[in-house]
Amino acid sequence: MEFDFTPVITYFPTLLQGLGVGLLVALVVAFMSIVGGLLVAVISVYVNKVVSWPLRFFIWLFMTTPLLLQLYFLYFGLGEWILIPAILVGILGLGFHYMAYNADIFIATIKAVSGGQYEASRSLGFGHIATIFYIIVPQALIRSIPQLGNNMILMVKDTSVLSAIGVAELVYASQYAISVTFRPFEFFIVIAVMYYVVNIFMELGQAWLERMTAYRR
Amino acid sequence: MSTENQTDTPDTPMVEIRDVYKRFGDLEVLKGINLTVNRGKIISIIGPSGSGKSTLLRSVNHLEVIEKGSIFLEGVQVNRPDLKGLAFERHINHIRQNMGMVFQHFNLFPHLSTIDNVTLAPRKLKGMEAKAAREWGMELLNRVGLAEKADVFPNWLSGGQKQRVAIARALAMKPKVMLFDEATSALDPELVEEVNLVMRSLAEEHMTMLIVTHEMGFARDVSDWAMFMDGGVVVEECAPQKLFSNPDQERTRNFLKKHLQG
Ligand SMILES: Nc1ncnc2c1ncn2[C@@H]1O[C@H](COP(=O)(O)OP(=O)(O)O)[C@@H](O)[C@H]1O
Ligand SMILES: [Mg+2]
Repeated sequence: MEFDFTPVITYFPTLLQGLGVGLLVALVVAFMSIVGGLLVAVISVYVNKVVSWPLRFFIWLFMTTPLLLQLYFLYFGLGEWILIPAILVGILGLGFHYMAYNADIFIATIKAVSGGQYEASRSLGFGHIATIFYIIVPQALIRSIPQLGNNMILMVKDTSVLSAIGVAELVYASQYAISVTFRPFEFFIVIAVMYYVVNIFMELGQAWLERMTAYRR
Repeated sequence: MSTENQTDTPDTPMVEIRDVYKRFGDLEVLKGINLTVNRGKIISIIGPSGSGKSTLLRSVNHLEVIEKGSIFLEGVQVNRPDLKGLAFERHINHIRQNMGMVFQHFNLFPHLSTIDNVTLAPRKLKGMEAKAAREWGMELLNRVGLAEKADVFPNWLSGGQKQRVAIARALAMKPKVMLFDEATSALDPELVEEVNLVMRSLAEEHMTMLIVTHEMGFARDVSDWAMFMDGGVVVEECAPQKLFSNPDQERTRNFLKKHLQG
């Protein structure tokens, strides 16, 4: 079998556009899943069972079912009622999915901050909420970086699943190009390299963050 | 005891502990404790491990919730069973801003630099400007001999340095009373003296202090009054010179004998 990469070069702008869409989605999902996950974790650790139980159920539900299925539920389920763009459904689906995973991490790291930290803050005169905000959450965040980084790396790769509901990210873009050029392997190789490069940058970023915070633990 | 520092409010003790009871489940830990701490006085509390010293100290700033009795800071009741929810939280936050607490294991905030550990409370709770807060923080760090460590993180400090920062942090809100719970017990022996020196300097400035300690020599030197606790009761209290050399109670003598032998 001979490789011919000229079609890839022809469609490279399309691929780049797909990559851009995927990264944009990933950025929004990262923000949503970290902020949301933190909120879910704080509430489920600190607020009474009536509130925290449904949240834990949400986490459990999203962690025990496939992402693709969740996307279908959202896409076709919501589609029954309102018309929303696939990209928004993708962001919400991926966002909730990783929100659950991140919340799971934050719950563990919040609980790992020693009770002495809480008491020291309260003894200075900080209230319960101020203590969570200034003392507990920052320390939990720092402790979460390694696992959070892993989750976000998985998440970036999972943006490819959004092709199934028609979001024009990298895999979807390549599918179109492949259907016109009949050169699947060339495209698969090139987009694999693209994901790989993104991965490397994310790992570098994670390592840098870990280095920058190592002495703050 | 002298009254030289009590001229402004002669009748109001700084801290008053009245008939305080505390239990953990079936375990009665405090069984009717009374203690009056006048302004500028230093009280040492000694006693065997498990006798309730920490619980008593923590009750003073409501880290432990007492079952019965009352505690006052300058005549203001600390425990207020009548206040609930947010009203109590506001009350206790205000009270705690007037009390500094130093813990055995320092409990410095590892994510903040030394100076930020010291200035976080005045910045966030008193709205102190960043520049003024830094000056105030440097003044406090200077006082505990650690100005050059201002921008270092706690994990890079020795135990003695950590505890000195913790003292500076507790002083940052200009507390009316300082509570020390075995401030030197977790330190290597050679680091104890630097912390004791800082505590002595506070004593010279007539800071009101309640000190739980295992260091009999230090307690004898700095305190105006000493109290021996065992099994949740005050067995004996008197001037430190007497308590440490000629106590009335057999239990006190036995404790001191054991302790001086090591
Ligand atoms: N949070 C707690 N829950 C249950 N028991 C406790 C708690 N804190 C202290 N105790 C018990 O109360 C007793 C007194 O403890 P503590 O005040 O720490 O004594 P001390 O400081 O004199 O060594 C001990 O028997 C201890 O095990
Ligand atoms: Mg103790």
